[in-house]
Amino acid sequence: MRRYAIQRSLTVIPVLLGVSVLVFGFIHLIPGDPALTMLGERATPEKVTEVRARLGLDRPIWQQYGIYIGRVVRGDLGVSIVRGDPVLADLLRRFPATVELATAAIVLAVALGIPIGVASAVWRNSIVDSLARLWALTGVSMPIFWLGLMLAWFFGVELRVLPTGFRLDTGTTFAPWTNFVILDATLQGNWPVLADALRHLVLPAAALATIPLAIIARMTRASMLEVLSREYIRTAEAKGLSQAAVVLRHALRNALLPVLTVIGLQVGHLLAGAILTETIFSWPGIGLWVYESIESRDYAIVQGASLFIAVIVVGVNLMTDLLYAAVDPRIKYD
Amino acid sequence: MRLSRLALLLVVGVCFTPMPALAQTFVFGAQGEPVQLDPAVITDGISSRITRQIFDGLVRYRGSTTEVEPALAEKWEVSRDGRVWTFQLRRNVKFHDDTPLDAAAVVWNFERWWKSGHAQHENQVKAGQTFEYWEAQFGGFDDKSVVAKVEAVGTHTLRITLKDPQAPFLANLAMFVFDIASPRAVETSGTEFGKRPVGTGAFKFVEWKPNQEVILEANPDYWGGKPKVKRVVVRNIKDNSQRLGALKAGEIHAMEGLNPDDVAVVKRDSSLQLLLRPTNTTGYIAFNYKVKEFQDKRVRHAFAHAINKKAIVDALYGGTGLVATQFQPPSLWGYNRELRDFEYSPAKAQELLRQAGFAQGLSDITGEDGKKEPLIFWYMSRSRPYFPNPKEIAEAMAADLAKVGIKVELQTAEWAVYLDKRKNGQLSLYMLGWTGDNGDPDNFLCYFFCQPGASREGFYANPALADVLLRAQKAVSQVERARLYRQAEQMLHDDVGRLFIANNQPPLAFSKRVKGYVPHPTGSEYFHTVEVQ
Repeated sequence: MRRYAIQRSLTVIPVLLGVSVLVFGFIHLIPGDPALTMLGERATPEKVTEVRARLGLDRPIWQQYGIYIGRVVRGDLGVSIVRGDPVLADLLRRFPATVELATAAIVLAVALGIPIGVASAVWRNSIVDSLARLWALTGVSMPIFWLGLMLAWFFGVELRVLPTGFRLDTGTTFAPWTNFVILDATLQGNWPVLADALRHLVLPAAALATIPLAIIARMTRASMLEVLSREYIRTAEAKGLSQAAVVLRHALRNALLPVLTVIGLQVGHLLAGAILTETIFSWPGIGLWVYESIESRDYAIVQGASLFIAVIVVGVNLMTDLLYAAVDPRIKYD
Repeated sequence: MRLSRLALLLVVGVCFTPMPALAQTFVFGAQGEPVQLDPAVITDGISSRITRQIFDGLVRYRGSTTEVEPALAEKWEVSRDGRVWTFQLRRNVKFHDDTPLDAAAVVWNFERWWKSGHAQHENQVKAGQTFEYWEAQFGGFDDKSVVAKVEAVGTHTLRITLKDPQAPFLANLAMFVFDIASPRAVETSGTEFGKRPVGTGAFKFVEWKPNQEVILEANPDYWGGKPKVKRVVVRNIKDNSQRLGALKAGEIHAMEGLNPDDVAVVKRDSSLQLLLRPTNTTGYIAFNYKVKEFQDKRVRHAFAHAINKKAIVDALYGGTGLVATQFQPPSLWGYNRELRDFEYSPAKAQELLRQAGFAQGLSDITGEDGKKEPLIFWYMSRSRPYFPNPKEIAEAMAADLAKVGIKVELQTAEWAVYLDKRKNGQLSLYMLGWTGDNGDPDNFLCYFFCQPGASREGFYANPALADVLLRAQKAVSQVERARLYRQAEQMLHDDVGRLFIANNQPPLAFSKRVKGYVPHPTGSEYFHTVEVQ
């Protein structure tokens, strides 16, 4: 087990190097001179040359990469081209908002997705199953920006019961400690702010949870169906155990293993989905920030944030794999 | 429906507290994040909308016109030769950090913009910022500038000496970039001043929450009278539809950046009102003069008769567009009202093409090297105020051209590539436009036509036009200048140098509770007159 853990961890290094080359390369493959985009219609040739030199864009690409990776290793993700602020500090300041949103979404997806999947498998081909499958299919194919707009329109504009965006109301004054607003408000015992923050979280979390929820529900259903056809389930039933005990204690525990992997994989999708969700709901996390930076071609931010997200995804998948081994005693790694 | 709505309301109502009222606060929905809040180094409208509330300049634009009126300078005189300007500053004005606004502070600001060796100029350049507008409007830094001397000749008297008379001088000073900052605050904050701005304006800076909002509070000692609201919040809402949603939901009071299709939605909604910003923007089609066919004026003339501008403006500008007859928008004082536009007449266009030897139509063009290639009409990949839906507009124009036998291939490129190709003169026929900076006709015409044959302008060379524009730049009397600009527009028209398609009046949407918002052509709008009922 320990050997497996070490081996598995070492595979992360080439993956991350590959990611850094990709992130660096992609941005340079996008057509257009970032200096010109920044200067717009008013650009004079001298200005363009000056800006290119300032950004180091006039050097050969391998040199640019060498300089970049050397800095990254030292924890320096560069400074924003547009604003001049250090990228890493800005990233860390915005990351809590994204974590808060993604956590809410995954909790929602798991809390609803697993029961739906289980119910769907247990009452297979019933009306419950059909509805659940229809829901799951719709969810998987729902464009998140459209869903987000519709949710905001219905609950924010038509019913006016939930805000259409942001983390807190305009009038709310609050001094966060960690930028995890919900955590901070709870720790500070500031209940009005907590209520306000939760109200703002509902719609974006619901929008972001839709796809993972559907995937988890489908995966749980498939996995449960497989387990329910096993012989030990028949044995358990023959022993006279209640259906609830059979399903929850014997079937679900085993069926959850593949679901766990899927949940781990969803983290990457959640961070990608966060870019759209945050943009629609003006949620001040890294998604919105990346979107704005892509628009203004702030290379440094797009590179830094992509690398950061890639590290998170690789890390979470590593943890899932290790967890998988720890949770399932039947699996041996030699 | 009604029952389920009620049920939903009940469920949600139990879980959530109601929305707080927004009394005394004016919330403006902006399209994005400010770059920073130091007016001297910014160039974008989102940032300058905020800095205009925090700072004042020596002079400012009156109401919704581009005429100049006193601000921090109460009055001024100019010498007969147009070179020496003497300003009397308003007394008893203080910056938000309680330091006094006097002639020395203004001199300090000029030196910061102007002298590349000034400590607070140098540090900005090192941090990657440039004083771009100073360079553009006053000819450059140090000795290159048209400004020769700036001195305090009394505690509240300022004298500026120019090397040559500069006709748009006051209009330049009214731009947001030349608003006066507190020298002490700039020296304390250095390059971070853009995050902690201190001016003399109607509102004081309170807080900037990144990617969310900037909060300002009223300056009760404002020389121009106490602002009508206590707080201003400028919220960053990226998505146009979502911003309109927030306005309809009552979360914001005002917004910019309406989709053209949403103009009708706002007009229909009884709780909302629509204001149009006076037009300061013109969209055009430019010819590449290296193309042999376009060197024939009859061909260009045929294009002018072939395109149905009115139909395009009516269909694709959401009711906020105007047909352009010339480069300057009608709000500028150099606008030529006498100029008669080319009428829409496919028959005339066909006749002109026939005379030019294209009776069979025109679909290929001849390059400098004599090679034939298909005629490509380049359209912009990005929406700009002057062409809000570039693709649809290009398709409409292509259809008009096809009717008279001109067949174009539509093509676009990523925005930076597009601008790059335009700069290098590689586009045979293309769309672009301009939004004015300071309300001066020079700012529209000279950048484009003062350097005949520039690749950036499709190699269009009209030395006589350039001569008129350069004379207008030096003339002191506005009457004389206006005459020269009218003449320049007529010359450009007679030569069919370029086709001017449309002006747009960018729409702003407000809650009906908002009163006293005065839209300005340059987007320089002041919030101290705004009331929220």
